[in-house]
Amino acid sequence: MSRLLVVDDEANIRVLYAEELKDEGYEVVTAASSAEAAEKLQNGAFDLAVLDIKLKNESGIDLLQKLVKERHDMPVILCSAFSCYKDDFSAWLADGYVVKSGDLTELKQEITRVLARKAQKAKGERV
Amino acid sequence: MNLKYCWNRDEIEQADCPMIGMEEGELLLSKQQRLLEMCGDCAKFVNDLKQLYDEENPLATLLSDLLSENRRQKTQIQSLVSFLDNKTLEMRFLHELGTVLQSSVDLDEVLSVALTAITAGKGFGMNRAFLLLCDREADLLRGHLGIGPGSRDEAGHVWGEITQSDLTLKAMSQNFRQNKLSSERAKFHHLLEQLTIPLSNKEHIVIKALDGRNPVVVHGAFQHPEVPTELANLLGVDTFLLMPLISQNRRIGMIIADNFVTNREITEEDMHSLETFAFPVAFAIERASLYDKLQVELNRVTEAGKKLKEQQELIVRMENMALVGRITSSIAHSVRNPLMIIGGFARSMLKNSPPSDPKRTFIESIVAETQQLEGVLDEILNYSDSLYPTRDFWDVNQLIEATLRDTADALASLGYATGYSPGFDLPPVYIDFKQLSYCLRTILQNDISGISSDLSIAISSQRGEGSVIIRIQDHSKHISQAELDHLLVPFLETRNLGVGLGLALCKTMLEKQGIPFTAVADEGSGISYSITLPTNKEEQS
Repeated sequence: MSRLLVVDDEANIRVLYAEELKDEGYEVVTAASSAEAAEKLQNGAFDLAVLDIKLKNESGIDLLQKLVKERHDMPVILCSAFSCYKDDFSAWLADGYVVKSGDLTELKQEITRVLARKAQKAKGERV
Repeated sequence: MNLKYCWNRDEIEQADCPMIGMEEGELLLSKQQRLLEMCGDCAKFVNDLKQLYDEENPLATLLSDLLSENRRQKTQIQSLVSFLDNKTLEMRFLHELGTVLQSSVDLDEVLSVALTAITAGKGFGMNRAFLLLCDREADLLRGHLGIGPGSRDEAGHVWGEITQSDLTLKAMSQNFRQNKLSSERAKFHHLLEQLTIPLSNKEHIVIKALDGRNPVVVHGAFQHPEVPTELANLLGVDTFLLMPLISQNRRIGMIIADNFVTNREITEEDMHSLETFAFPVAFAIERASLYDKLQVELNRVTEAGKKLKEQQELIVRMENMALVGRITSSIAHSVRNPLMIIGGFARSMLKNSPPSDPKRTFIESIVAETQQLEGVLDEILNYSDSLYPTRDFWDVNQLIEATLRDTADALASLGYATGYSPGFDLPPVYIDFKQLSYCLRTILQNDISGISSDLSIAISSQRGEGSVIIRIQDHSKHISQAELDHLLVPFLETRNLGVGLGLALCKTMLEKQGIPFTAVADEGSGISYSITLPTNKEEQS
């Protein structure tokens, strides 16, 4: 079972993500801030992180850069309220990018795609 | 005394006097005038005077003395008339020269006039002249321009031409400027380079003359103790004139003139004539140089003003962008998150409710309405994002390939096949990368109805004139041109907001960047899009 870290400052969104992604068979841990995310990351390994690009009083992009530097083996999917960040260079560090929507199909597809790519990469490295 | 001679008659006939010409008829009627102007030089009169001597007439000596005095005075008058004529010509020439010099602020024109005046036959008539100008920054007296023939043959040819053309000074200098200036510069380039002397070299005869502010005629240059051998060899003449150009006590430059071809002596009179001319020339050169500098400064100030205006506009634009960005971000988070939560939980409830649940219809309505609102929000946010494009130079192939990678999964899942024929050696294009990516994604993924069985999209790029053209042929969408035109107008159909602003937004974004965009519908073969991207900043409006 893949373990996912969801970082979003909106409590209801964290609940929604947790419910929906658990239904898909993932183990989901949530965090409301980058500090909380760092704490969760210290306590255990994750297969993938889902980050909100705009956290309360802080930037998800900064957290993304930190994660890429410190946890380069953990892919990150960025979520944002609008699509303009999609072509932003700083967002290109992420492995996936999804515009927030009540329909989580795109997010779920993106998680599947990124995890599959990670697995394929790991397999290639083993071979 | 024989009184039959002509000089003693009040009136005579033309045939009586060998001295009076056909056009001097009035002298035939005036005995006094005839005696003063003609008779003294006449052989008949001299013979009569001799007779008086022979007769030992005491009047003979007196008459002879009077005759000598008359001749002397006539010669003096002729000399004075000639002098006055020359001075009149000189005054006329200087007046013409002054008029031309006063009316010009173009340095090349002033120099052309000055050097033409020195060397023109109707001017000062020197064979060659070289102008050296003070370069204060480099502390040099620098050879700047030369005029004159390089050889006797050339002199004969050029002077012959000038004599035949009979031009005024102004016309001659214009002719020189238009037709000869460059060739004379080239002809004397080597010589002028060597005529460059440090202003600090106070012992050099040229600098001495300049500092002394007085003209100098150098004779015996090859043996002259103060003339450097290289200067004498360079000029190749034994005599030359150094004429300092001084304006308001400032050293402007030096004219070196000589008679390289004719070897005519340079007289004190030549020197004084040129001295009179040197002041207006120096003044005109200084004024033209200052005007040139003023023009440079003016251009610099104009350019600085233009840049300042651009910077001000940029600041205003950035402030506007920041404002729009803040508003957009605020709307996005204030509206998107609640919508997402409502829609998300509604979907979750719908997923977990049995088909028989009577509330299922209500939940389905919530899902549909939130989805519709999300669509509207997307379009408004994208529209506001299009207001302030940020352009830079980008690679077209990189743009298209990134878009195709982005859309590959979604298009493949719908059964679409895309093909790209990249252009080779394409120059970078000046665009807003984000907006162009959005436009290409929208064109590839638009939800136009009227799908045919051919789900292929062909993309190509090629170099145009000052542009790179992207062509997209979507074979899958079959609609009429009128329907397509309708889709290209933003917010035309407000009732359907949230379903199909995409293409209209693309058109708006591209128009804002001054990028030509066409979309042509053919109900038989699909839609052809063409986007002409500029390769430089000027191509854009």
